[in-house]
Amino acid sequence: MILARHADALLWVGRYLERTEATVRCLDYAANSIIHLRGDEARVEIEQLVKTLGLESVAALVGSLEGRRQLFAFLLSDTGNPGSVLSAVSAVREKLRSTRERIPIELWEEANGLYLRFREFSDAAPPPERLQEVLLMVRRACLAISGVLNEGMRRDEGYAFIVIGRMIERSIFTVGLIVAGYTDPRGTIDATRMLRLTSSLQAYHRRHGHAPDPEGAVRYLLFATDLPRSLQSCLLRAEDRLKDIGATAGALDGSRRKVGLLRARLELGEIEEAMAQAPVPALSALHWDLAEVASEIAVEVVPPLDFPTVRSQYLRPGEAGGLGGT
Amino acid sequence: MAPPRRMYPRAKTGAARLVRAAPWPPSSSMGFVADQTPAPDAGLLDGYRPGPGFDEAFEADGSVREAYRRIVERFSQLDAGELRRLERLVADEFRRQGITFTVYSDEEGTERIWPMDLFPRLIAAAEWDELERGLTQRVAALNCFLEDLYAGEGAAIADGVVPRWLVVSSGGFERNAMGIQVPHGARCNVAGIDVVRDGEGRYRVLEDNLRNPSGISYVVENRAAMAKACSWLFYDHAAQPVEQYGRMLRSTLESMAPGGADSPHVVVLTPGIFNAAYFEHAFLARSMGVELVEGRDLVVDDGTVYVRTIEGLIAVDVIYRRVDDTFLDPVVFRPDSMLGVPGLLGALRAGTVTVCNALGNGAADDKAVYAYVPDLIRYYLSDEPIIDNVPTYLMWDPDQRAEALGRLDELVAKPVGSSGGDGVMIGPHADDEELAAARAAIEADPRNWITQEVVQLSSLPSFTQERLEPRHVDLRPFVLTGERTQVFPGGLTRVAMRRGSLIVNSSAGGGSKDTWVLAPEHQ
Repeated sequence: MILARHADALLWVGRYLERTEATVRCLDYAANSIIHLRGDEARVEIEQLVKTLGLESVAALVGSLEGRRQLFAFLLSDTGNPGSVLSAVSAVREKLRSTRERIPIELWEEANGLYLRFREFSDAAPPPERLQEVLLMVRRACLAISGVLNEGMRRDEGYAFIVIGRMIERSIFTVGLIVAGYTDPRGTIDATRMLRLTSSLQAYHRRHGHAPDPEGAVRYLLFATDLPRSLQSCLLRAEDRLKDIGATAGALDGSRRKVGLLRARLELGEIEEAMAQAPVPALSALHWDLAEVASEIAVEVVPPLDFPTVRSQYLRPGEAGGLGGT
Repeated sequence: MAPPRRMYPRAKTGAARLVRAAPWPPSSSMGFVADQTPAPDAGLLDGYRPGPGFDEAFEADGSVREAYRRIVERFSQLDAGELRRLERLVADEFRRQGITFTVYSDEEGTERIWPMDLFPRLIAAAEWDELERGLTQRVAALNCFLEDLYAGEGAAIADGVVPRWLVVSSGGFERNAMGIQVPHGARCNVAGIDVVRDGEGRYRVLEDNLRNPSGISYVVENRAAMAKACSWLFYDHAAQPVEQYGRMLRSTLESMAPGGADSPHVVVLTPGIFNAAYFEHAFLARSMGVELVEGRDLVVDDGTVYVRTIEGLIAVDVIYRRVDDTFLDPVVFRPDSMLGVPGLLGALRAGTVTVCNALGNGAADDKAVYAYVPDLIRYYLSDEPIIDNVPTYLMWDPDQRAEALGRLDELVAKPVGSSGGDGVMIGPHADDEELAAARAAIEADPRNWITQEVVQLSSLPSFTQERLEPRHVDLRPFVLTGERTQVFPGGLTRVAMRRGSLIVNSSAGGGSKDTWVLAPEHQ
């Protein structure tokens, strides 16, 4: 049995954890790539990163992100940016805090420790030279959290919701990254960049034995069954965990159907066919479908309640009648 | 002239040995005057001078009490640097685990690391036995009073033991609790009774906390931290364990299920993560293995309380609530409450769920009603109180008020509805302005004030970052009542970290100590 609120919180723990890792990977990439770029090149690269993370509308509110320093601050510690590392780490901590009695103590301790260490860094306004130090710290903490999740957490509904959250967020990021690649104003799809932003470059090399080409990279990120970050792998894992929940709780039937349908479309080549005709609309539709799956799960986890009318049921001491008598 | 006190000398490092008292007067290197800064290599207990009142660890002549002999030996082998290191270890552990408390008035905002002093409090088995009997007796009488008041005939009031007007004018009295039955007549399921020791070392009850007493999680976490940082301290002592609190509480709460349900569904109700005691709420749910719910997780339908799960609505039998009465049900109490459950009172009245602690317990822990508890013990149990109250004067009584106002500078004045030391005026420490303000407040609203004799509070060696000095302490033991009453072997010892201060509340800079109830064989 899991409280609906806990299920919702743990789903978001998974999503924010994944978001933290994705943002850190983007920052790490940016720290190494943008230093070599100047002027318009740097600006375009920054815009692409923001688009990849799905933060265009938030960035527009902040104003222009023209330099490295602004980009780093925006992605690292801007509390107005729900996708910043600080926002995501804070959200993980808050969600775990609200579910503290049902998660392993070590999981809470790792998340709390990450938040406290990160706050120390961000409160001290770290100079750019310390960026790598911060990123390394966050990466290691995320690995430790994943370790506790995988090795220390009971395989119950709570675990399943964290995994589902991670897989959904990862799917959305991966497809968003490919869409951003196809719509790159520089007119080329940078295959190496896509693979590096998903930590998949080494795996690609080992699988294919040659430098990545755009089509190969996109196919790898979407369909590879040996890559934990591919869309196919993510949907399979999410579907498995949804089945687990269905088996124990008999819930989330709609979400399970939707994820299963997406996975089947991917396996049966429907999405590949659509991409062959018009890749950007096909990928955008896929991106949209994934966002819908995320919404569907959230609604199924915490369905709106039709509150009973309780006021008329209550009788004050000494009043005549019984419950429901007025 | 008072006889000279012998001082406790620093023990040499090496094998533990019996303490040898130093000659009087102390040599200058012993730093008798406590305000002097000791030499860097001075022992932690060099120059220790028991403060006014009863010292838990030392006799008035400076010799070590038997129960503390080995602890004092152990600490005398440490230096300040080592103790600071151990304190940092504990603080880091608390910080990592998020063992915090919240000070709402603090500009820093939310969380502070829970402060713990490493010198423990020891309670000998015989001493604890008396405390246990006294606390059981007191809580039994309070339960009788509340049951009589809300579900009985009001016999104590009818017989003039407590004035009716005083009870019904209490801020904690709850008319909506009238007629609500509870299993076993147990309304104070978790009671935290604050006790202190007077100048002669006698335990006295300072106040009763019968609504949502907090602090038990820190008792358990203090012990866990001590066991990690100073495991060697436990080698010489058979301290009773404390980690069984969750099991005790769960069995108490399960015994409160309506109709004696098998495998009752128990939940802990919290106001949420921003509440000062949220850490404790999560701790309790985790240690009992039950769900920690917020008001929004519960729903009432047709007189039954349900919890919202992904499987649907599941009925709840017992709610251990850590939400105040007035926030429990927006239908009946504050309509703006987002913390409660609409319709909960209806379910309670229908007898489909039990809320622990019961509604309206504040009528019995009102500080003015406190003064009548010894009479309630005599009335309901036909016994003499085993633990006395602190001498208390009721300001609504013209004679007592006149006498108290005549010597307000010798007394403590307390508003009856306050908690956490708010509004308390300690006469001997107050200036003329504070005395005048307290006098005016009492005269304006005498029902809501009491005055008490100053109890010096006992003291214990506590670490000042340089050495161990006496600091005042109190004790909050916890009493659980369901089908039967059990006193949890331990309690929260709070310590005033400023010299001479009697304010032990953590929100006012107080700390805490691990509390060891020694097993009988240790004697």
